[in-house]
Amino acid sequence: MTQPAGELFDLGYQHYDGPREGRMRARKAVFIDGFKTTLGLGRGPGAKVLPFLLFAAAMAPAVIMAIVASIVNDLVDLPGHDDYYEVVSVVLLIFSATIAPELLCPDRRNGVISLYLVRPLSITDYLGARWLAFFAITLLLVYSGQMVLLAGLVLSAADPLDYLKDNWLDIPRILAAGFLVAAFITTLPLAVSAFTDRRAFAAAFVIGLFVISGAAGGILTGCDEGRDGGPNQQCEPITGDAAKWLGLVSVGRVSTNVNDMIFDVEDEGRGSQLTAELPGGGIVPIGWYIILTGGLAFTLWWRYQRITA
Amino acid sequence: MATLLEAKTLTKRYGQTLALESVDFQVQEGITGLLGPNGAGKSTAIKLFLGLLKPTSGTAEVLGEMPYESLGVRARLGYMPEHDCLPTAITASEFLTHMVQVSGIPPSQARTRSADILRHVGLEEERYRPIGQYSTGMKQRVKLAQSLAHDPVVVLLDEPTAGLDPGGREEMLRLIRRTGHEFGISIVLSSHLMGDVESTCDRIIVLEGGHVTEEGAVAQFTRETETLLIDVDSDREELITALANRGVTAVIDGVSLAIQLDNEEHYDAIRDSLVETNARLRRMSPRRHQLTDIFRSGPR
Repeated sequence: MTQPAGELFDLGYQHYDGPREGRMRARKAVFIDGFKTTLGLGRGPGAKVLPFLLFAAAMAPAVIMAIVASIVNDLVDLPGHDDYYEVVSVVLLIFSATIAPELLCPDRRNGVISLYLVRPLSITDYLGARWLAFFAITLLLVYSGQMVLLAGLVLSAADPLDYLKDNWLDIPRILAAGFLVAAFITTLPLAVSAFTDRRAFAAAFVIGLFVISGAAGGILTGCDEGRDGGPNQQCEPITGDAAKWLGLVSVGRVSTNVNDMIFDVEDEGRGSQLTAELPGGGIVPIGWYIILTGGLAFTLWWRYQRITA
Repeated sequence: MATLLEAKTLTKRYGQTLALESVDFQVQEGITGLLGPNGAGKSTAIKLFLGLLKPTSGTAEVLGEMPYESLGVRARLGYMPEHDCLPTAITASEFLTHMVQVSGIPPSQARTRSADILRHVGLEEERYRPIGQYSTGMKQRVKLAQSLAHDPVVVLLDEPTAGLDPGGREEMLRLIRRTGHEFGISIVLSSHLMGDVESTCDRIIVLEGGHVTEEGAVAQFTRETETLLIDVDSDREELITALANRGVTAVIDGVSLAIQLDNEEHYDAIRDSLVETNARLRRMSPRRHQLTDIFRSGPR
């Protein structure tokens, strides 16, 4: 018989006398957990499928646009950085509407929120960390697409250096517009998630809001087919100043209106042209973006102040 | 003995409802039972000590600080709620490691602590399975583990045996005793079950209708509530008279006769009375101590 190489001893309970990093460590932990939850890391394979599929779907247009740009010549008016957020807006919407509620709804449905409330962080810390986690992911998403597109455009140019010299302004515009798009699509679904502990309800509400407000804005102003076929002939479109204000109705256009202003798009076919013509030289769509995003963030915060364990 | 929690003229009002009225008590090291029926103010008291609620007046101090003002002191508190509080999709190991970090402990140590504490509560290999697949007993142990993993000075356990079968309940109480006596973590255990408190706690605070009605060492209560119940098929009045002749007071309590046992000789008197009256004895047993016994006696 062989003798055991060693013996295991139960040392009993060990008290912890290492560092306690308090609130900052708590915030970091909630942020990292939010980041992992968004991507389904540390969960089963099923939890990873949706975020990665949607991530790939948001990247696909950038890859296609970059490939097309490298094949066809410069004379064709290709979609560029200014179009990217508009092209991927539906995918971004589905991504944020379906994934963001996962950061808030289950914690309330499972009661885990009670455990956060008794730990050394405030409810505002918890919300801030969750918001930042989803914001970081969406920012990564929107910037990645633009960077792929930029790489494609630079590499396909006859003289990449000249292209960069001529179009350097695109880079700060990409960063600014991406930041604002990401902030909006982070705040809206999280604010909606504060009112239901069912992820599916929150997702359906956000998608419904985009679809209905988009359709309403489009039908009323006759811009729903503006890009291709001109005004919708089936209805009597509202025109003039009223139409410009109604251009604000579509929730889906809130951040793309601002995007178009940042890129200084002057395309008659764009829905953003209507709102850009409102008095104040663009102050209205920007103000509307700030009011809506700020209002949603406040609603989220206010709602969580009323949560008790 | 150090005072861990202290309520000073603590009052909590919800609109018209007074949940706690000018309550004063202290919780020292060891295991303290907070006993009371539903609506007595137990959960309100626990939430005030956790900083989840603000007192209407008075103070609820934890280690000399106010948890609703100081976030720092919460790092030294543990809480096991009565209701569900666990995620389903992640493993117990992942969950505990995360919660330990939320309590302020760096990631490297958090992983070690979570593994250690899960072993202490009896979850070994299971800790790598999603919590959604656990039995009620296992979930209850994860709930206890998350309250202990950051090595708090005091943990507040709200009805920790709720929903457990007798085996699971005994196991949970054994873990709580071990935590209190071997780990040296002080415990406040809220319960409406006298049995839980009797077998686990060193001290007891009884809350009723927002007031502290009793307070003291558990041994004191169990001695005071030693009552024998006798069921007979024959005439009870005759037996009561026979007992009274021997100096033993028996009172009718439902279908039984309740006899307060003041000394061992009462057993002889009961035996002799039963023989004398030729009573047909159906049952003779000590009363199962219930909270209502304490409440019936009222404030002293």
